[in-house]
Amino acid sequence: MSLQFDYQPFPDIDKPLREQLGQYPRVPDITLDVLRSLARWAVIGAMRAQYRIVRRGALPAGERVALLASHHSHLDTLTVLAALPEKRRRQIAALAARDYFFERLPRAIAASLFGMAVAFDRTRYTELRHWARVLEAQRAGWLLVYPSGSRKRAEAHDAILFVLAHSGWTLVPVAIRGTAEAWPAGKRLWRPFRTLEVTFGEPLATDSTRRLSDELARFWATGGAADA
Amino acid sequence: MDAATLALDPLRFYTVVTAIGFGLMGLVIAGLRVAVAWTPYRTWLVMLPVVFAALWLGTLGWAALVTIVSIYAFKEFAKATGLYRETLFVLVVYAAIIAMNLFAYLPYYGFFMVAPLWAVAALTLIPILLNRTAGMLQAFALSVVGVVYFAWFLAHLTYLAHAPAGLGFVIYVVLATQFNDALAFLFGKKIGRHHWTVISPNKTVEGSLFALATSIVLAFLNWGIAFPQLPWWGVLAAGVIVGVGGQIGDLTMANVKRNVGIKDFGTLLPGHGGILDRVNSLMLVAPVFFHFMGYFFGAFPG
Repeated sequence: MSLQFDYQPFPDIDKPLREQLGQYPRVPDITLDVLRSLARWAVIGAMRAQYRIVRRGALPAGERVALLASHHSHLDTLTVLAALPEKRRRQIAALAARDYFFERLPRAIAASLFGMAVAFDRTRYTELRHWARVLEAQRAGWLLVYPSGSRKRAEAHDAILFVLAHSGWTLVPVAIRGTAEAWPAGKRLWRPFRTLEVTFGEPLATDSTRRLSDELARFWATGGAADA
Repeated sequence: MDAATLALDPLRFYTVVTAIGFGLMGLVIAGLRVAVAWTPYRTWLVMLPVVFAALWLGTLGWAALVTIVSIYAFKEFAKATGLYRETLFVLVVYAAIIAMNLFAYLPYYGFFMVAPLWAVAALTLIPILLNRTAGMLQAFALSVVGVVYFAWFLAHLTYLAHAPAGLGFVIYVVLATQFNDALAFLFGKKIGRHHWTVISPNKTVEGSLFALATSIVLAFLNWGIAFPQLPWWGVLAAGVIVGVGGQIGDLTMANVKRNVGIKDFGTLLPGHGGILDRVNSLMLVAPVFFHFMGYFFGAFPG
C-alpha cells in the first residue's frame, strides 16, 4: 500500500491581495481575520465615541440573512455594524462596488478591514448570475446589501432584489437615519456628536419582486416607523 | 564621510553601492528597453529600502523583518499545500517562528538549537487534542517542514547579525543569494542549452555553473568589507555555500510547487511571485553559512 498526500491548494493563491480582500465567501485567513477584528473593534469604538447609535426593531433570526438597507452615506455600513452584536459583525459581509472600493489596494484594505466589505461588480453583465450561484451554495452567512446601488439613488434595483428573493435567504429591510446629515455624500469630512438610528423590520415576503421593491421603498421612506 | 570610514562600515558601504548599482541597472533596463524587466525592478524598488531600513534599525529591526517574512512565507507554503485549513498546526508553526527569532535575537544559543525539538513535540500533541486521525499525518509532516524550514532555518538570518562582523555576513548572504538567483536565471536564459533537472525544467548546467562561479568571485570581491577576518579558503567556502545552497533551496521549493501543481507561491511581489519565491534560496544558505562560520571561526556569541 502506498501513502499519498492529497494537496488542496487554496483557490485564491494566484489572486492579488486586492482581489483576495474582496472575495465572497471569504477564504479563511488568520492574518486578515485578526486584522479585521482589530480594525472592527477600533472603528466601532470610534463610532460609539462620536455618535449615539439607536437600534430599533428585533434582530432577525436565522443563519442566512440579507439586510436590505437604505443608503445615504459612507457611515451607513459602520452604523449598521455598530448596531449589531459582535457575533453577527464578525460574520457579516457588506456588498461594495468593486469599481469604487476594490480598484486600488489602500481603499480595498480599508473597505475590507473596517467595513467588512466584499466586492460586487456592478459593471459586469454576468455578476448577478454569479451571485445567485454563490448565495444558493452558502449554508450560513449575513449580508449587508444596498439594493439602491448608490448613495444618490433612493429606489432599489429590481434585478438584485430578484436574485436575493430567489436565493432562499431571509430578507430583512433596514432603515438608517441620521447618517445623511452626519456625513453627506460629496463632503470630505464627517460631523460627529449626532444620533444615528438603525431600524430592523420584519422579514419580507419574497413571492413578488415588485411587491418587495414597493415594501422596501415604503419601509425606507418611513424610516421603518410602522414596522418597528 | 571619507572613503576610509565608508569602507570600514559594511552597512554604509553596501547601502551606497546598492543604491548606485540599482540606479545603474535602471538606466541599463531603460537603455536596452527590456520591458519585461520593469515589473520585477519596480518591486525591488520597494523591497530594497525595506531590507536596508530594517538593517539600519539594528538587530531588533532585522529580527522583526525576518520574523514577518518567515511568517508570510510559511503562510504561502501552507496555503499552497492546503495545510492552512488546519489552523492549530499553523498557529504552532507561527509561534515557533516567533520564538526562534526571539532566541536568535537575544541571543540564547542553547534555546535556539533546541527550539525545533519543542516545536515538533508541540505538533505531536495536536492530533491527540483534536482526537482526529484523518489527514493528521500529512498536516503533521507539512508542519514539521514549516518548523524546520521556515522557523529554524530562516531564524539563522537573525542570529547571523550577532557575529562581530555580523552585518557584513547578513548583507553578503542576502544580496549574494538574490544576485545568484537572478544570474542563474538570466545566464541560463541567454546561453543555457543543457537542462539537468525535472524539478525545475528551466535550470540549465550553464546557468547553474555560471551562478556558482559568480558567487565565488563575488565572495572574493566582498572579502575586504563583508568578512575581512576570514582566510582565503573561508571566503571560497562562503562563495560555494551561496552558489550551491541557493540553488538547492530554490529546487527544494520548486519541488513543492511541482508536487502541489502551482506556478508561484503567491502574487504579493509583482514580477517575482510570492515572498517564498523570493526567499526560497536563502533558506538553506542561512543555516549552512551560519554553522560553517560558527564551527571554523567561532563567529557567534550565545
